[in-house]
Amino acid sequence: MRAVVRNGVGVFTPQGFLDGNNSASFLSIEDIQATTKLNADMILVSLKKVIFFNRNGLDAFVKMFIKVRLAHHTTVGFCDYDTKKYDAINKFYKNELNFCLFRTQEIASLFAASFKNKNKNILLYSDDKSQTAAMAIELHDNGHNPLIAQTLEEFNTKSKAKEAYDIIINETYLGQMGQKVATRVTGNAIIYTVSSFLDAEIGNTFNIAYHNNSLNVGFRLFIFDAYKVVSMNVHALNFFSKLSSSAAEYNATICFVGLTFEKTPITFKETLEDSGIMFFQQMDDILKNKELLDELGASSAASVKSKRVITKGIVTELPNFIDATVGTIEMMTNAKAVKEAAQVNKIKIGDKKDKIASSIGFYGDIDGMIILVFPHDIAKKACELLIGEKTDDTEMILDTLAELVNIVGGKVKTLLFEANIKVDITLPRTYQDLDSLLEVVQDKKGVQVDLAFDNDKFLFFLTR
Amino acid sequence: MITKAKIDNFIDKIPPSPKILKVTLMLLDNGELVKAAQIAQQDLALSAYLKLLVNKPIYGFKNKVEDVSQIFGILGVSRSQQAVYNYMISLLSPDKWQLFKLNKNSFENLQADLSANWQKILSHLNIADKDITNAITLLPASIIVSEALFCDELENVNLLRSVNEIDLNTILKRLSGLDLFDICALIAKKWDINEESSAILQAAAGNKPSKDISINILGQWMHLLLFYTLSQTQYIEAELNDFIDFQIEYVQDIYDDFSTVMEIA
Repeated sequence: MRAVVRNGVGVFTPQGFLDGNNSASFLSIEDIQATTKLNADMILVSLKKVIFFNRNGLDAFVKMFIKVRLAHHTTVGFCDYDTKKYDAINKFYKNELNFCLFRTQEIASLFAASFKNKNKNILLYSDDKSQTAAMAIELHDNGHNPLIAQTLEEFNTKSKAKEAYDIIINETYLGQMGQKVATRVTGNAIIYTVSSFLDAEIGNTFNIAYHNNSLNVGFRLFIFDAYKVVSMNVHALNFFSKLSSSAAEYNATICFVGLTFEKTPITFKETLEDSGIMFFQQMDDILKNKELLDELGASSAASVKSKRVITKGIVTELPNFIDATVGTIEMMTNAKAVKEAAQVNKIKIGDKKDKIASSIGFYGDIDGMIILVFPHDIAKKACELLIGEKTDDTEMILDTLAELVNIVGGKVKTLLFEANIKVDITLPRTYQDLDSLLEVVQDKKGVQVDLAFDNDKFLFFLTR
Repeated sequence: MITKAKIDNFIDKIPPSPKILKVTLMLLDNGELVKAAQIAQQDLALSAYLKLLVNKPIYGFKNKVEDVSQIFGILGVSRSQQAVYNYMISLLSPDKWQLFKLNKNSFENLQADLSANWQKILSHLNIADKDITNAITLLPASIIVSEALFCDELENVNLLRSVNEIDLNTILKRLSGLDLFDICALIAKKWDINEESSAILQAAAGNKPSKDISINILGQWMHLLLFYTLSQTQYIEAELNDFIDFQIEYVQDIYDDFSTVMEIA
């Protein structure tokens, strides 16, 4: 069984009965290895479709939790349970509850640093005061507004007014939380979230391969969200100085937001500034200032000193890329694709109206970027299979489109692996309008393939 | 791609039920066990299947049962019919399974597990109706249909399911408008299997409860039995555990009774 990963949260969903006889079958050694390689912010086991479990049944998953947390500092735990199941887990692991329990996946996502929606009004209750405090702090740090119910009576009374709160949290427990450096993409900037004490451990928790490949695929602005950082030592200082030096080779900028120097020597700030790192008080100081964003490189991803050209190696694998893309879109839309034209040149998009786009990078034995430009209607149709209903919600379509491109990326990875070429894929990026896409790729040469699904035109562009 | 045309093609390729089976079932329906056994013996594949089936451990016979008339005698009318229907469904199973890690033997084990436990449930519910006994034989047909329709789409399905918690039944419904259980009902119709059996099977999908209360209750038991069976190690390893969605709310109110019948600690 493999976890389904969305927005950095991997979820296993076993079904039926979970006991000592079958739990090892749900999780093979390969499944555990694959999970440790996922590099997700959070790994959860959903119990919503489990009607019966005992301690032996949960143990296989708990053992996996330990391995995953040791490997990547990932937050791990169970979710989607009712009161009876919550009580049973507490009884089974009374004094050794070192994983998290989240009543629902929605509650779990509030504690994931990569969660995009902020500012939720949350009613919170736990009969364990230290848990209440820990949850309130985490929620507050993640940009939400927790309201703590001091007693069960108060909670019961307040929770009746469901419309007053976005989410109500009870029967939830924070075990050892992961301290992985979470990553999220906002526009053309990558935001890393760091917290507490920054020391030599940052070298283990920061995904340097992901960072380097983000540089490769064109990201030029990296922001460290450091509101929750208490202090840093000289090992962390050296780490960030080196990171900044390597970013400079790509004309990229590294910024820190919200870092205070109450417990960190102010000389560290000067050292970091000397290595090119910039400091800001608030995230909005950067993200809401378009001129500054331009200056910092967030909308000039293509301005790399040495422009990378498409290689013979990539062109040779073009049929694999096309097959992966066409196969996926055909499956999602149940429509047959017809290849209309293919050429090596800069990207050419005829009519930019009613189109959205998505891109995904790949790196390893070969590296590059796949860009897909969809007519809005094809995107909607393709997303219907994943969403299960028709929708005009652009944000939902873009989110689902990102998943679709993730599937294409995954398929490319598999097809290339069969050709003995090993690659990994980056997070997908979506573009609501094509002007923002063109800012990134208009000067890049690549292979453009025009396709038609029924009568809708669809564009595939492969570049570096 | 899974289109309506592909589904129609699959249904078209299903042969009509063989004459010997039709006659055997008709004689069993009339309670003529000896004559039915004489006819059934003429089909060597059917005889071999019946011998293998009833000698599986789940049937719990102490001594090996060798003779078809002996088999029918031990099983009685309803369960003999059930065994013949199981054979009919097994005729649809592929020579080589690709989507699920099954083989001829493990598929027959699955049929035997479902049939024997369904019998326990019907005894608990005090039901001795032949058509209701036979209804369970259609359930594994949903697995055969999944295999037939999705085996060429294995990679696409795996990638789709790696980013979205979506079962084969839902994928099929969204792509073609028909779900696995609708297709099983079409097979049942083609083979003149009683409509009540089809109705129970449809309810056993778990996501479309029947308006008929008695059929709905049987659907609940069958849905829970399916997931009880698919939670066994050999079927989890065959990757059958999540081929359709387990509707836990649908079966919640019969769970305690079910755990008593199945002796779940």
